[in-house]
Amino acid sequence: MTRPEPVPVTLSGVYFDGHSSRDRTAELTLGHPVLLTLDGATHTFGPHELTLDPPIPGVRRVIRLPGGARFETSDFAPLLSWERAGGRNRALRGVAWLEGRWGSALGAVALAFTLLGAFIVWGIPALAAQAARVTPRGVLASFDEQTLRVLEERDLIGPSGLTAERQAQLQREFRQVQAWAGGGYPYRLLLRDGEPAGDLGVGANAFALPNGTIVMTDQLVALARSDRELLGVLAHETGHVTRRHGLATVYQGLGLGLVGTLLTGDLVSSTSFAAAVPAAILRGGYSRAAETEADRESADFMLSRYGTTRPLQDILTRLDAQEGDRSGDRGSWLDLLRSHPVTRERVAALKALDRR
Amino acid sequence: MSDAILPGPHLTDPDPLHPAGHGLGRHAAQPAGEDAPSPPDVSGVTPHVTRHDLSFTGSAREYFRLWIVNVALTLVTLGVYLPWARVRTRQYFYGHTWLDGQNFEYRANPAALLRGYLLVGALFGLYSYASQRELYWLALPLIVLYVALYPWLVWRSLQFQAANTVHRGLNFSFHGTAGDSYVAYGAANVAAGVAGIFALPWAWFMQRQYQVRGLGYGQARGHFRGDVAPFYIIGLTSLGLSLAGGIVALLLGGLVAGAWSALSGDLRSGADLEDLFGSTTFWIFAGVAYVSFLLLYTVAWQYVRGATMKYVLNNAELGGVVRTGATFSPWGLVWLSVTNSLAQAVTLGLATPWAAVRRARFILGGVHVRTITDLDHFRGQAQQPGSALGEAASELLDIQVGF
Repeated sequence: MTRPEPVPVTLSGVYFDGHSSRDRTAELTLGHPVLLTLDGATHTFGPHELTLDPPIPGVRRVIRLPGGARFETSDFAPLLSWERAGGRNRALRGVAWLEGRWGSALGAVALAFTLLGAFIVWGIPALAAQAARVTPRGVLASFDEQTLRVLEERDLIGPSGLTAERQAQLQREFRQVQAWAGGGYPYRLLLRDGEPAGDLGVGANAFALPNGTIVMTDQLVALARSDRELLGVLAHETGHVTRRHGLATVYQGLGLGLVGTLLTGDLVSSTSFAAAVPAAILRGGYSRAAETEADRESADFMLSRYGTTRPLQDILTRLDAQEGDRSGDRGSWLDLLRSHPVTRERVAALKALDRR
Repeated sequence: MSDAILPGPHLTDPDPLHPAGHGLGRHAAQPAGEDAPSPPDVSGVTPHVTRHDLSFTGSAREYFRLWIVNVALTLVTLGVYLPWARVRTRQYFYGHTWLDGQNFEYRANPAALLRGYLLVGALFGLYSYASQRELYWLALPLIVLYVALYPWLVWRSLQFQAANTVHRGLNFSFHGTAGDSYVAYGAANVAAGVAGIFALPWAWFMQRQYQVRGLGYGQARGHFRGDVAPFYIIGLTSLGLSLAGGIVALLLGGLVAGAWSALSGDLRSGADLEDLFGSTTFWIFAGVAYVSFLLLYTVAWQYVRGATMKYVLNNAELGGVVRTGATFSPWGLVWLSVTNSLAQAVTLGLATPWAAVRRARFILGGVHVRTITDLDHFRGQAQQPGSALGEAASELLDIQVGF
């Protein structure tokens, strides 16, 4: 490969011998050989004896000479062409080239935001699901207790008003779901009043905590027309437990918090992560994909028992309708089962499973 | 003074560690004086104080491009490029900092940093894995190792930073001992952990003194004229500010929440405490108080940083001939930090480069050196940068080292 011989150019700059802090005006002529003119005397070097530090935008360039001495110059353009001709600093010269242009800067902004968006949309949920899968059982138990305590303290749930016989009956029926769900979790069904202090409570609702605690409210029991509907809901909730959706949601919240911290720097970094844990379970709800997975689990259960998912469809539709009624008068800010994504599509998916 | 330096470049000097005769002429005549920490010789010169202001020539636009391109490259390379990005960033800021017509230079080797990052990252990953799997026989020794090595890592990091900082062709160096680091960063931090605010300013003092005393430039050595008392004043000012501000924050939260409650009738009179926790009023109160405390934390901490930096700069000397001085206002720095953080939050981080340049310009614009000799009379003494492990650890594990 033949390269055109670079025309010798002379750079003016400053010379340091590396042993003292004294600066001396000097000139460097880039050719074969390289000539350094210093205090009227000329010194010669082979080009390979010189090291040129990679360029930084707007910063004086440094050419290292043998023996720790150096020549610094601001004659950027001729030095750059010499650098290019000699094939020096290829990679970092490319970086400096990118850094010098607004086009590449805007491209980098777009790329950074695209990657960040992709990470938030796909990366964090995937990592959260993975982390949820490998989280030891011991950690799960404390989640359930903490969350229940918060719910009770805030009067979101209270002691159930159902009769003892009704409760015992529901517990008995839950044992079927429990046996079917498996996974070795210490399942338990807690029947609670969803509106102990009026509208502020969780209302007609059911939700699963990571370690297998499933809470179902009196209001939901009242809404159901048959126990099959309730069993469908319970099977759905055990699906959240076995797939560890609750924990994944918590991790997802933490991941998002971390991204926020990285983006905004000091101001938010002192946010306590611990405080985010119950809030994530309560407020976040599950992702669409998680609901679909849990629906499918429940459908498995219902199809094996009753040959149809109809009861689950019915209660979902009724919950949806009730939410529509309630949103007229200021609905509860805490919607778990009812905040499920697009009930109609879920019901349609269940119907499709029925037909198969 | 032109005869002080022997004529002719010593370009092929085979042994840069023993530059006898290449520095000041009078020093060359001193027998075996090479190793003693001695200031550049200025006898025979009438002490004439010259003041040089530091200046910063970087621009937010230019740095924005450098920053975002390096962020993108780091993301694309899954972090492998990170050391190069860090080094380029430092090189930009050092290279645009000028003192008496010459700029500073940062010359760390990114490949060495990468090795350090990988080692520290691997250890941290091992620790995370061990603690997640509840393998305490593995996690515990790693924690103990980290705590025991912390002062040593700080020491290595200071050496690395100093040796990689160059001005006028001479590198800085750090001569503090590892033992002193175990006092300044080990014992002092333990004391601060036990006695809190009563010992924390003493720890700051010990650490700053350790940093300045250990600093060397060429053959000149740093000297710290400061005292421990001003650190206590800074700490108490910050504490008083926090307490007063905390009360204001609570009042403000109460005021806003009270106004909301009155307007919306959210809290009925006679509501008990249980009702309170479910109410919107309570959440408004908590929100306002939380943001105020966050702000307060930023203000108090930035004040401590700014005020100690100023005090240290006003009491540091180099080689007995150079004194640094700072004229910037710590409160100005607080205001700048708060507005910087807000700008960064609002722009989703895109204002980070602007904030960094603004900060550098503010601080460096308020720093000067006063000298009784010309700055070109220092003699060199090479110090190898050593391993980058301390530096990598302090960057990755967020050890607070620098001023």
